[in-house]
This record gives sequence, structure tokens and C-alpha cells, in this order.
Amino acid sequence: MTSRAISRRTVLKGLGGVTIGLPFLEEMLVTRALGAGKAAEQAAVPVRAFNVFFGLGIPSPLQKEGFDGVLEPLKPLGDKLLIMRGVDHVRCDEKGINAHYDGASAAFTAEPPQGEAKAGGPSIDQMIRHAHYPDGLPRGMVPTLVAGTYFRRSRLSRYIHSFNPDGTVAATMQEKPRAVFERVFGTVAAESDSTDVRRQRLRRSVLDTVLDQYKFYTGPHSPLGATSKARVNEHLERIREFEQRAFAVKGLVDSAPAAPVESKLLHGGAADPGGEGIDITLEALTAEWRLLAELYALAIQTDRTRFGSITFLAAGERIRLKGKYEYDGRKVFDFDDAGQRKKSGSNACSHEWWHDFNEKKKNEQLRAHAHMKMREIAYFLSLLDGKDAVDANGKTILDNALLTISTESGDGRHNDIKRELSGVFHAISGAGGRFKTGQIADVNAEGLDVYNTMLAAMDVPGRLGPEKRKMAAVDAIRA
Amino acid sequence: MRYVRTTCFATALLGLAVGLLSSLSTIAADDKPQRVRDGLIVLYDFAENNAATVRDRSGVGEPLDLTIQDGGRVRQSKGTLSVESPTLIASSGPARKVVEAIKKSNAITIEAWITPANVTQSGPARIVSLSASAVQRNFTLGQDKELYDVRLRSTGGDNNGLPSTSSPRKSLGPRRTHVAFTRDPSGAATIYIDGKSVAKKKVPGDFGNWDGKHRLTLGNEVTGERPWLGTYHLVAVYDRALTESEVRRNFSAGASSGSTDKAADAVAAKNAVFEAKIAPLFARHCLECHDSALAKGGLDLSRKDAALAGGESGKAFEAGKADGVLWDAIEADDMPKDRAPLSSDEKAALRGWLEAGAVWPLDRIDPANYVHAGHAGDVWVQRLTVTEYVETVRSTVGVDIAKEAGELLPPDLRADGFSNTAYNLGVDLKHIEAYGRLAEIIVGRMDASKFAGRFSKQRSLDADKLADLVAAMGKWLLRGPLDDEEINVYRGVASTVIGAGGDYDEAVRYIVEAMLQSPRFVYRVEDQRGDGSPRRANPYELASRMSYIVWGAPPDEALFRAAERGELADREKLAAQVKRMLDDPRTIERSRQFISEWLNLGRLDNLRPDAKRFPKWDARLAADMREETLAFFTEIVWKQKRPLGDLLDAQVTFATPQLAAHYGLKPAGDGLARYDLSKVPARGGILTHGSVLTVGGDDASMVSRGLFVLHELMRGTINAPPPCVNTTPPPTKAGLTHRGIAESRVANVNCGVCHVRFEPLAYGLEKFDGVGAYHERDDHGNELRDDGEVLFPGDAKPIKYKSSAELMKLLADSQRVRESLTWKVTQFALGRPLAAADAASVADIHKTAEQNGGTYASLITAIVMSDLVQKKRTEKTE
Repeated sequence: MTSRAISRRTVLKGLGGVTIGLPFLEEMLVTRALGAGKAAEQAAVPVRAFNVFFGLGIPSPLQKEGFDGVLEPLKPLGDKLLIMRGVDHVRCDEKGINAHYDGASAAFTAEPPQGEAKAGGPSIDQMIRHAHYPDGLPRGMVPTLVAGTYFRRSRLSRYIHSFNPDGTVAATMQEKPRAVFERVFGTVAAESDSTDVRRQRLRRSVLDTVLDQYKFYTGPHSPLGATSKARVNEHLERIREFEQRAFAVKGLVDSAPAAPVESKLLHGGAADPGGEGIDITLEALTAEWRLLAELYALAIQTDRTRFGSITFLAAGERIRLKGKYEYDGRKVFDFDDAGQRKKSGSNACSHEWWHDFNEKKKNEQLRAHAHMKMREIAYFLSLLDGKDAVDANGKTILDNALLTISTESGDGRHNDIKRELSGVFHAISGAGGRFKTGQIADVNAEGLDVYNTMLAAMDVPGRLGPEKRKMAAVDAIRA
Repeated sequence: MRYVRTTCFATALLGLAVGLLSSLSTIAADDKPQRVRDGLIVLYDFAENNAATVRDRSGVGEPLDLTIQDGGRVRQSKGTLSVESPTLIASSGPARKVVEAIKKSNAITIEAWITPANVTQSGPARIVSLSASAVQRNFTLGQDKELYDVRLRSTGGDNNGLPSTSSPRKSLGPRRTHVAFTRDPSGAATIYIDGKSVAKKKVPGDFGNWDGKHRLTLGNEVTGERPWLGTYHLVAVYDRALTESEVRRNFSAGASSGSTDKAADAVAAKNAVFEAKIAPLFARHCLECHDSALAKGGLDLSRKDAALAGGESGKAFEAGKADGVLWDAIEADDMPKDRAPLSSDEKAALRGWLEAGAVWPLDRIDPANYVHAGHAGDVWVQRLTVTEYVETVRSTVGVDIAKEAGELLPPDLRADGFSNTAYNLGVDLKHIEAYGRLAEIIVGRMDASKFAGRFSKQRSLDADKLADLVAAMGKWLLRGPLDDEEINVYRGVASTVIGAGGDYDEAVRYIVEAMLQSPRFVYRVEDQRGDGSPRRANPYELASRMSYIVWGAPPDEALFRAAERGELADREKLAAQVKRMLDDPRTIERSRQFISEWLNLGRLDNLRPDAKRFPKWDARLAADMREETLAFFTEIVWKQKRPLGDLLDAQVTFATPQLAAHYGLKPAGDGLARYDLSKVPARGGILTHGSVLTVGGDDASMVSRGLFVLHELMRGTINAPPPCVNTTPPPTKAGLTHRGIAESRVANVNCGVCHVRFEPLAYGLEKFDGVGAYHERDDHGNELRDDGEVLFPGDAKPIKYKSSAELMKLLADSQRVRESLTWKVTQFALGRPLAAADAASVADIHKTAEQNGGTYASLITAIVMSDLVQKKRTEKTE
């Protein structure tokens, strides 16, 4: 890999000329110090939950092959994960579904979507967030971090996977490594001239006034209804975060690490030219993803965020991948989607391999793509399991936090016309001993029940889905 | 989260029920009219028995309940409260919602059904009062022996509400009486007794001097020195002046609070169940096969008559019991065929509906009405989009901040077809940083002194004068009056500046900077509290609604003045304002935003066709295509003022020489030139623009193009392909065109059910390749065709067309297409997806617009004049 991993240590050591707000740096130092001394015993491990999404899915027959097949890259982390087979998003598996869209929306919510930019309900990370931090996260922390490397736009739930209780997106997607860096570690400009103390004081007064106004519109005398209040409350939370960053900075560290260079890949609308797909090399794709994953992991390691989602390729992703793919010192495949499909535009994109899936055939290209995705997911997970990721209790973040890995359907199996979203790949981490790990389990349960069982184990009182629905606890996943 | 879903549905159901109840107001069993609810703030109907509290049953905002000081001095029975000896019935704290609402509207109605105990009490004796003492009040409706006396504070009078307005002598007697006092924003006050106007007077000024701390009382002054004895049947206060006919209506409704007829309630509730649950269920699960076009098994469930008649197996269902072909097939999961079965909740709803009598209130179920059912009941505050923010800054303070706003503010993303969809207008840290930075830049470019001079000539740092400045400046910047707390908050900014040695100009700058970041500037804040039913928007809310719909900008001074004077309540004056606004160039720009969003013209920036297949493609062509569509739209809509349907077949276009050549037209002129297409039969109308034809991708997909026509022009609905279908089309070859491939899909027993509804719509476009160039033959030498047929949603039979030009004519003349354009413009105007509850209003809008020529201007006018704009949706306060 060409990118150099960014670790908590390298951040603290510093690489060059960019600024990080000192309070954050202090937090990082404290966090690290806690890992070694008596304070560690006293420090509580925070509740954290993250959704990890990858596009296009893994056909159920391939899941059955366990670590001998496309899941091989997860094997080194196998002891820390519970891989669940037979998870069916029955409620979302309705007439008229579009697996790429509805399936992606079902991931982490178990609900069908409610519009192009709205999920059918909250995602599990946000359920946990609201239950454990009803008054908000510690000041200055990024409440929800949403990031990803992907090249398919249109409907938002293709690539965003954290949703508020009302189904709206929980945070803005950060799709460039530099954007993640700035969102997590960057200082914000409260004013154009920070050296003028008087001006700074007056600006602070203005911000206090603004803050008061937002408080009023979220308070008991607000003329707004509950839906709008929630929106204004989001605004209020962002102001508080801004306030913390803009005015609580005590100084700047000259030797802080350099911000990532500007990405050279396509982003925004240009990354999805009319659904026709883009050409991209494996090296460019994984280099950008790994940098983004490292920054995301760093945000967790330094306790800058505790909830959110990260996406590696969107639902219904349309890329024409090219490059030699190697794993564990051996060549796995030569990606050349356009050449191998002998077509152009969207018809030459990798998602066509999923349409072509046939259990009785080799499915060489699909296998290679799925294997590569697992390698990259494993890369992210491993960042939360190294020496930089040790929590106060001596265990790693991957041990302590809830990491939920899932995907859309689009599994290419299509063997039951009434059950498109059946057998959607899922894996979870142990979440501090709450769930079994080291297993590949055939849970054969509805996604809603699996998620609600997870919420119960995470001490979340609320449940997903219809109120009257009788929950069927999936005890098989609990430790 | 479960409570959210339950609440949403309950709210939706309530909204439907209330809407239906509202429309049923004239059919109550005894023909007794319903009381007016628009503008209601508090309502007391004295339904309690032996209670210490009189409940506010307005359902608006936080209930303002009243406490009876001494229960032994009153008697309660059957909707009456008799005050038999002096006591006080008062709110425990300030009547904040009453004061705020009336200060904002500058209008009021005080209404009471009462029976005075005698004709000797005076003071005046306090019947209803919002006051603090014998000499400090916002208003009092009182008795002075044999007349009614109303004291009302305004800037044109004193703090005791004097001079007062009185009914004639001997107009008051010890009988049950309906008395109402109204005062509109122009100051015109009227007292009505038993529905008749008995006194008129001018109460000049406004309510800016109202005291927000006063309590609402019945039966006495809050200090206990002006008792009134008698019986209360009903008391209500509105934040607007009811019209004479509305006062008569309330009088005719009687002394009860207007609880509706139970039989009408029951009918309305059943109708609501059908609209909220059953119609969406049929639309989602059944109409794919059982609509008028396919009517499989002879059963058409989309039309009431046909559904009740049944199909080849006889009647589909029996009213009153869960029995019959329909229920049996659904219960056994035999239907929907080859689709997922109904959920248990859906089955329970269907069973409940059948058993309750299978009430079917709609003539036709239009599936398009239920596409956005998930949004019903949500009332989202609207953040200004980036373009609205820029225009708002330009309009209010005269600073052009477009460049900086474009750089600093995150872009607004499209949701449900438009980027002004309120639910998707969230905020991120970048927004906060940007709003602060932009405010700083804006203020830096302003002449603060000159700006403040518009609102106050006194450059004074005196607290009272600063308060006046803040009130006036804030009212302009924040699009409506400020309350006392807001004035204090912004005045506090000035205090800080002064404390830091600052001067008047600097204080103004910081106040403006704060206001530019406030929720009332960044969002379009409205009072959304209520009972879940629509309420009339107050004058300032309405003015903002109008200006953002028509201009994407805040009200100008003329509109603002009209709001202040209460003129927007007068439909003639309202219409005159809209007419004036339509002449503003900003209206054209706003309409161009609409078509850009509707057709997603921004997509063209990212168009990168395969270079091998389209070697002559030049990225500048994409920009030319966008300009073509915008110029064409401006020509048809604004220069020629033609009906919107003409966008489909107008025989003119605009092209650069490069685009003209791309289209096979002889280039004329250097820049964007006008081309007469009357002799170019293949082109004419937006569907023949490259900007639209490219939706089909490099392969000129008939599926994508057909779906575009179906969704964007016909409000058609279609389900995604079922599982087990390879959606990748086979390639064309000699002897096989895209048309041939499409026809095989349409003929396929599994695919044709849906594909027949949209692919033939694209047959007429086959001669245009993926980048919009025209060909008679494809790359394989196959001859291309442009004949086909159109199946309009809801129709039983398709209509054939022989050429692309005929297709365009069919679309242009189609009522369904014109209705769809109305829906699209209305959605953009409201900033939210439309749901079933909006359907009747949109139908009215369309009808009105068509009657006035079907132009964009007539449509915008109809939208602004409609209930969807005049009234606001409310959320039930918990």
C-alpha cells in the first residue's frame, strides 16, 4: 500500500505544519496516558457504535464458504467478530423494492426508506447514542461522524448510514480524507482576525446571542412543532461545537501533523456522471479509502467521536476497476471490468457481476471484488484493534465498541422472488462482551429482531419497527 | 423509533379527519355550522364539572388553563360556569401565547357567550381581561351597566386601553348573549351582539406596546377589584379580526364549543381510514395489475364503481365482513401474485376496513398521491437554501454575497427532485462557520449608519431608543415583529459593544451580525403549534411564504406594508400583490431555478459520454444544452406567456452554432440563437432537448427515458423490477434495435405488466442517440422508428402516435401532463413532497390556473391563493 498509516502516535509526535486545537491534543494525551497508569482503572470505557457499510453485498452461497472464500480477509479478526448468516430484512423486502436503494436503507435501520433522502427510522448507532447520551455528547466532540469512499450518488441512503430518529441523515457525509480531518481535528475560524482580543470578545457576545435564540426555538415556548424543533436543535448542537472549537482554543501546536493532501479522485456530482460509472484503478481506490479509514479510526482512538458510519463503496456502486489484486502475498485477480465485460458505460461496471451471479458458475470477478472489499473492511477494523487502539480497560476499541458491518442486498442470489433481501451479510464486534465472537453463526432471523436484540444488549430502551410488533429476541448472538 | 411512527400516522390520520370534518361542516345532521377555527388562540367551553381548572380547549400551542380562585363561589354544569359571588378565574402566569400571537398579527377578536347576572355592575366589570391592574391592561371586555365596553391598548392610545369602544346604551341585558369584538390591522374595530354589528370605531396604532406579563382573567380584575357576576357559556380569543360572516357563523353555531355531530364524525373517521390506510394499500399492492389499464381478472380496484362491481369472479368484497375473493386471496397470500404478501398490520387494516363497512369515499385512487405517504404529518421548518440566503441578504441589506456564500456554504442536496426539500435542509458545522463568517463579511460591506437610518433617525445609545431601533430593524431583517425578549437580547449586544468603548455604528454592526445568524433569518420560522389541523398563516408568515415562492427572496417593503396593514387577508388585495410581484425580474429567475431543479440540469456538468462512442462530444455542448433549455423556458413561459403544456411541443429552440450543428440544424449567428423548428418535425419541446435526452445515458436507454416521461410528466408510478430479473439489456445488432429489445420486454409476460406503462413513451425518441443527436439509422444500419403509444396513468386504453411530433402534441394536450406540471411547481413552491392530504387543494389550484390560461404566472397565483399557502400545517402540541 502506498499510503502511510496515520496512527495516534504519529499524530502526537507531529509531522509538519498544520494546526490542531490544543484542547484536542490535550485530550489525546490524556487518553493515551490513561491507557497505562492507575487512571486507566478508574476511567470508564465510553459507549460507542459505528456502522460499516460496503456496497453490492455478498451472495449467500458465498457466505457459506466462511473464511475459505471471499471472507478470508476477515479471518485474522475472526476471534473479535460474530459473522451472522441468514439475516433477512423482511420488512424491507416488499413489492417494488430496489435492492440497491431499499436494501441500503435497510442496513442498520431494518426499515424501508421514506423518500430519496430519508430512512424509515433511526439507525442503530443513533439509537444507542440517544439512549446513552440523552443530553448530548461531551462538549466539542463530533456527535456523529459520517464518512466514506464511494462513487454513486442519487439517493442518499446509498451511501449515508447514520440516521436520526426521524429518519433524516444524522450528519453530513465527509467524502474526502481532508474533509474528515477538518471535521474531526480542524479548528474553525470564528473571525478573520484572531489577534484582536476586543473583537474576539464582541464576536463571542454575538455568538452567545445567537445561541440564546436557538435555545429559545428549541425550548418550551418555541412556536415550532417537534419535527422542526429537532432540526433547530441540531443547529444548536453545531453552534455549541463551533463555540467550543472557535473560542476554547488555548493555543496552536506548530508541530501538529500535516493535513492530508487534497484528494485527486473525483468527488461530488463528477464522481457519478449520470449513472454511467467511472474508471478507477485499484491503487487509487484503496489509497484514498485507507487514508480516510485511518483518519476515521484516529477520530475514534482519540475519542473525538463515538458514533457514526463509514462507507466503502455505495449501494449499486458503479466503477470500472482496473489493477492487479494481491492478498497475503499471492495474486488473486487482475481487475479489468471494462475489458472483461467488453462493454462501456454502466454496462461495464462491477455491479454487473452481481447481476450475472450464478451459484453453479465460478463467478470469478464477483469473488475478486467481494474479497477485495473484505480486505478493505478488515483494514479499517484492524486499525481499531492495534496498540494505538487500547482502551482504559486494556482491551481494544474493536473489543469494546459495537461495530456493525453490513451491506445492501443485491446479492445476486435471487432464488426466492419474494425474498430479495434475505441472507444479507452482517458481522458485529463483541461490544464489551455483550455479543458472542469468534463464530460464524446461522442466525436465520429477521433483521429487525437482530437489531433490536443488539439494542437490548446495549441497554437501549427503545426499539426499531412498529410498536405493536412482537419482538423475537435472537439470543443466539448474545454472549 | 416506535413513538415517532405512531405519532406520524396518528397525526396524518388526525389531519385527514380534521380536513374531512372541515369539509363536512355544512352537512352536520342539524345543519348547524361549525365554529371558525382559523386564528383561534384560546377557547374555553366550560365543559368541566366541579373542577378547579377551566381548560383551554383550543388545541393551539400550550394550553392556557385558568384556575378558579374560590370554587365555592361558582357553579358548574353542562358547559356553563356561573359566577355567583366575586372571585377570580385566571391563568397562573403570563398569557404569553395570546400576547405573542396578537402582537404579531396586529389584529384580535374577543368573543364570549355569556349571561350577565344583572344590568347594574360596572367598572367596567371584567368579563374577559388581559391585564395587571385597574389601570394597566392589554385588553378588557367588560360590562358597564347596560352596555359592553372594550378597552384595548395600542400605540394610538394609553396603557389602560383608553379610549374604549362601547356598544350602544341598553344593548346589554340579563339574557344569554353572543358578544364579539374585532379589530383588524388597519385599526377598524367592531362590536357585534348576537351576530349583528352594533358599534364601530377606530383603534389606531399597533400592539407593539402590549405587556407580555399580563395574565388572562375571567370574572374580575387580577387585583380583585372589578368583579363580574353572571354565567359563562363560551369564551374565545383569536389573533385576527373575524369577518362579519364569520361572527355570524359563530353565533349561529350556538353557545357550545362546536363539538361536531357524532354521525358526521363517524363518517369522516371512516373516510379518513380509507384515505390513510386502504387507498395507499391498494395503490402499493394491487393496482399494478388491477387498475383500469390491466384489470386482471376483470377487477379494477382503482375506480370506485368498478371495484364495487367486482370482476370475473363476482363481487370482490362484502361490506361489513372480512369475506370474499379479495380478502380470501390476500389472507392466503395468494395475492399479490409473485410479490411479497401484505404484512400482518396491513391485513389487519384491510380486515378492519371491510368489517367497518368498506366505506369507499374516493372516485378514483391515484397511486401517485401516496408515493410520499411517509411524509404525512411532518412539519419541517425550512432553512433558506444557498440561493435563497444570497437573495435574502441582497434584498434586506443590499450586499451581494453570492460568491462567498457559494464558497463557504455547503451545497444543498436534492431530495425528491428538488434541493429546497425542507426535510433534507440540515445543518453541519460548516454551516455554522459559514453563517458567522458571511455575517462578518456582509456587515463589513454595509454602511451601518445609513442602514440604521432607515429605521431610526436618532443615533442614540439610550436604552429605549436602541430598543426602538432593534424592534424596527429586526422586524425588517427577521421578516416580522420581535417580541420584548428578542428586543432585549439584541439590545444586549449593543450594551456589550458600548461597554467595550464602542459607538453607535459599531453597535448596529454587531446587532446586524447577530441577526444575520439568528434562526429567524436562517430559517423561515412559523408558529407551528396547533391541533394538527391547518391554521391560517399570520400576515407576516403569509408575506414570507408569498415572496419565497414567487421570488425565492424575502418580502419587499410594499409586501411588508401590506402585511402590516392586514391587507393580505383581503383576497383582492392579496391578488393584486401577487400580480405586482410577478412583474419583478426575480420571478423569472425563480422559475428558472424551478426548471433547473425539475429537469436536474446540474447533471449536465458531470456528463462524460464514452469518448470512443461519441468522439465528437465536447463538454461545452453540455453547457449549451442547459442554456438551450433555460432560454426555451424563458421564451415560452415569460416572453410568449403560453400555457405550461406548450413546453412539450413549442416549435422553437435556442442553440449555439455548435449545438445547432450537433442537432443537424444549420448554424445561425455566433452565440445562443433562436431557431424556428416549425419545419423540423423531429424537434420541438423539451423532450427533444439534449439536456433531457441524455437521461438515457450512452445507450439512450428506453427504460430511463420512458421512466423520465412517466415520472416527471405524468406522475406515473411504477414498481422496481422484481427479483430474479437481469436488468442489463442485450446489445443492439443488425436486425435488432433498441425498439425491438424494448418491444420484447413489453411482450414478456413478467416484464410487460410494468414496461408497457413507460417504454412506449420513449419509442418516439429512438431516433435520438445518447447525446441527443438525430439519426434515421443506428450504428448497425437498422432503420429507426418514432411511432408508439401512450398509456396515460389512470386510463384504460393507450393512444397511438405515428411520430415523435405526434407524441409531443399528445403530451402537450394531456390533462394528466398539465396536472403533473402543477404538482411539480407546487412541490417546489412549498418545499416539500406532496401527499394525499394535499391532492384536493392541488386539484383546485390546477383548475384555477387552467381557467386563467394555464400559464406559469396563473399557476403561481393559484398556488399563492390556495389553502396550501394561506394556511399552515400545525403539529399537535403534546
